Amino acid sequence: MKNYPKITRDMFLVLMSWTFGFIGVMIVINIIQRGINVIQGAEVDGGFYVSLLIASNIYMIIIGIISIYFLPYYVENGVTRKDYFKGTLLASAAVSFVIPIITLLIAIVERFILSNLLNISYKMQNLNEIFNEAIIDTDSGLGSIIGDLILSVILSPNIDPSGNWILAIAVFALNIFMFYLLGWLISAGFYRGGIIIGLVFIIFAFAINIVKDTLLRVAMDLPFSARFSALEPFSPWIAAAGILILILFIIWVIRLLTKRVPIEI
Amino acid sequence: MNIKANRLGLNFGNQRALQDVTFDLTEKKIYGLLGRNGAGKTSLLSILASFREPTAGSVTINGETPFENPKIMQQVAFLYDKDYQEESDNIIGLLQGIQPYRPYFDMEYAEYLVEKFKLDRNKPIKKFSKGMQSAANVITGLASRTPITIFDEVYLGMDAPARDIFYKELLNDQENYPRIIILSTHLVSEMDYLFDEVIILKNGEFLLQEDYDSLTSKGARITGEKQLVEAFVQSKVQLNEEQLGNTKSVMIYGKLTDTERKTALDKGLEVGPVSLHDLFIHLTEEENADEKLS
Repeated sequence: MKNYPKITRDMFLVLMSWTFGFIGVMIVINIIQRGINVIQGAEVDGGFYVSLLIASNIYMIIIGIISIYFLPYYVENGVTRKDYFKGTLLASAAVSFVIPIITLLIAIVERFILSNLLNISYKMQNLNEIFNEAIIDTDSGLGSIIGDLILSVILSPNIDPSGNWILAIAVFALNIFMFYLLGWLISAGFYRGGIIIGLVFIIFAFAINIVKDTLLRVAMDLPFSARFSALEPFSPWIAAAGILILILFIIWVIRLLTKRVPIEI
Repeated sequence: MNIKANRLGLNFGNQRALQDVTFDLTEKKIYGLLGRNGAGKTSLLSILASFREPTAGSVTINGETPFENPKIMQQVAFLYDKDYQEESDNIIGLLQGIQPYRPYFDMEYAEYLVEKFKLDRNKPIKKFSKGMQSAANVITGLASRTPITIFDEVYLGMDAPARDIFYKELLNDQENYPRIIILSTHLVSEMDYLFDEVIILKNGEFLLQEDYDSLTSKGARITGEKQLVEAFVQSKVQLNEEQLGNTKSVMIYGKLTDTERKTALDKGLEVGPVSLHDLFIHLTEEENADEKLS
């Protein structure tokens, strides 16, 4: 009997219950921010969509890390590591798509309320502009590497949803799915190999994320850090294929780490 | 259902946890797994439950390797002294979460047990006392009704009345829904009446597997006048001896024939039974080692 559809459903429900909590908190923060905007009469930059775009990266890393704790739970309940892996993977992919869609819907409602009911001017902030400024500011020393690392977690290359909203959602979903996988990869590294191996996987995850961001920039024809200028001649399609291979590679490594892992009691 | 372990071995790096363990569990019975601390009980049970793979030898359940085998794994439940510190669900929520993964799970029975153990249905499990958390574990194991159910020291922290409920329910439910139940325990004297069969591990190695009755009937305590007792037990495997004045009491291992028994009684010696607890202690004592059995 196939077990993984059950795991997919259960994991999806668990992840979504956390996600509603997360989005709920973000809505509250956003309402407070907008309240301040109204009092000050300032214009709104970006709004809910941008806030969530940034916050969900961190959120997905965290729930990715927590995901490993479902492995002993499932094995204890007679579920194979393989079914746990498949179910968790499918559920997290689904959540990665649901978050951008919910975010966009809330952003549309927010925009309607702000511009039609409260008469506040609303500007969609372009994240990539911020990023471009940031990479121009940094030089090529060690500081810039650390800067790049931090930036890569906070700001992923993205597309303004007021243009091609389908592509915007796809890229948003891709970014957060990647962060989920990286969180899961790190925790699987710790679970399998202990602290030292786990730390190595953190560095590994950062590196993967930078590669992904750069490939994504090439694929979407966005400017990227001069450090990777050798990638310039690659066509966007090759870069897109590269992203796909990268994702499959991470998934494969997670599976390798968890395939025969002992459950310590 | 049957479980076959063939020359099973498990190493953690250089440390040996199990070596050459071979046994068969073929009947729907309650098996008592005994062994001192570090004898390898939990390691063995972890392998049966697919928590880990052996490093040598093999285990098969119904002829198949259990590890990562969905058909087998859902039929095996392994309940151990688990840390519920992070469990914010209540007992009903916990059981409802498990139910879909256990084909024979009986929710009605689970709720009956929750009442029986007087567990608070609304309290998060992490706020339960240790004994109540153990009761939650016991309920999970019993209500899952898995054809192979393993309890590894699950009673920790439970008070005597709660342990008594556990033993009674275990026997009752086993009668109605027979399965292979493995009980690993330190409380030998308290739980011995539950066992149909006994398996003893010693230093990671298999020591014996025997029917409870025939194992306990193998031991006897001969008490009487010192010289007479000494003469009588001379040719026997002696597990331990106690002396008070001229009276001596010797615990022997090995079945007494009817003639021997008669001779002893004729000489005025007292032949008493030996408890599993006593046998266990002396069979697993370092210096008593295997030569006494061989």
